[in-house]
Amino acid sequence: MALEMVDVHKTYVTRGLRREILRGANGFFARGERVGILGRNGSGKSTLVRLLGGVEAPTKGAIRRSMTISWPIGLAAGFQPMLSGADNARFIARIYGRPIRETVDFVEDFAELGEYMRMPMMTYSSGMRSRLSLAVSLAIDFDCYLVDEALAVGDTRFGRAFAERIERSGLILVSHSPALVRKLCTRAAVLDQGQITFYDDIDEALATYHAL
Amino acid sequence: MSLQGETALILRGARMQLRVIGALVIREMHSRFGRHYMGYIWLFFEPLLLGVCIGLIHAWRDRPTAFGPFEFHAVGYILFFVFRGILARATMVIRMSQPLLYHRSVTLPDVFYARHLIEFLSCTGVMLVMLFGLYVSNGSVPESPLKMALALIMLALFSQGLAFLAASITTAVEGSERLIHALTYLMLPVSGLFFLVEWLPDWLAQMALWIPILHLFELLRDGQFGSRFNAQYDLAYVWGWIMATHLVGLAALRITRARIGLE
Repeated sequence: MALEMVDVHKTYVTRGLRREILRGANGFFARGERVGILGRNGSGKSTLVRLLGGVEAPTKGAIRRSMTISWPIGLAAGFQPMLSGADNARFIARIYGRPIRETVDFVEDFAELGEYMRMPMMTYSSGMRSRLSLAVSLAIDFDCYLVDEALAVGDTRFGRAFAERIERSGLILVSHSPALVRKLCTRAAVLDQGQITFYDDIDEALATYHAL
Repeated sequence: MSLQGETALILRGARMQLRVIGALVIREMHSRFGRHYMGYIWLFFEPLLLGVCIGLIHAWRDRPTAFGPFEFHAVGYILFFVFRGILARATMVIRMSQPLLYHRSVTLPDVFYARHLIEFLSCTGVMLVMLFGLYVSNGSVPESPLKMALALIMLALFSQGLAFLAASITTAVEGSERLIHALTYLMLPVSGLFFLVEWLPDWLAQMALWIPILHLFELLRDGQFGSRFNAQYDLAYVWGWIMATHLVGLAALRITRARIGLE
């Protein structure tokens, strides 16, 4: 049970301009592992996350999934701004075949949004959106959670609850924050020049990242 | 894999797809009409109102023919509304459904199926109301409701195939939306909403019958009052169009899906 990247290339062509984001990236993520991928801004983190989540297809190469992986959990990706938090949670529960009532109850508890659960998501602050999207994804119970950072997973009650919950699942965290990677992951890799390099030792990965 | 295993897998896939489409239908209703019941009333009333208006205009203006002009045009317009409803927004669907596509189990065709199902069901409902109203007001009963239902279903499918193509083309070719919309409008006069093939001179009828929608209008009228005129249609021809547009359209959607970059 794993997620495998084999020689993945991704090139975007806009108005005649070719941008090669990923050039032969490889990776193997076993079930239950918590892996952090570090990359500077513009290194292709978001692209990588979308490819891993199956939202976009690689230009060349393949991504093989043999375990359930979440959609890319970022600020508000995968949610509809004009629907309420609760309706969004219901929609996602339906799509993934989970019991609706329990899902909404869990999200209500975990995200602690109170009355805002019934308000359209476009009225939420970015912190609230983060909490909601994390809560909904946790309610679905995936083998592996795919997280594009920029989340308010700090040293708050929510942040701690999230970290604790994540301990029991797989995680692929794509981030530019070494502190977050160290806190949540057991393995780390560095995304640079369109390729991923894995390191057995987290510190080595962090050091390499610093040196970039 | 054994035949049993394969069948089970296919059934599981089908169940999942139905679940996804169901979720999309509910979400489409919520976001188009809000959770308040008023929105659904509009879904219903728009085609009904337009049909009645068009019927009234023609009842007032046209010389009397064998078929009440109101009935002829009002019922006809509801059928046309299926086509219009599905194609009017087809070009916007992909752009508007980006958050939905973040979830792997939601495919592009699914999004369309959900929308089209809603349009089809609402037009069918309106048609029933219209026919009931006509029965109550002047006792007219359609000769073959089955044929009318078939016309609705086939037009929905035909429009769907075109919608797949329209959406793919407008995503690939910048600026093609205008053309697609223009073509949709051009369909109105030639679709058969305003005439029967029987009324056309032979040479014109031969040309007109290349248009698939015309056959479906003939089918509709055949179901309404077929014994009173000579209906000319070839359903096999229309099925051919439906198959071809679906084949090419679904393939085009696959390519489109692989090419779109989501935010």
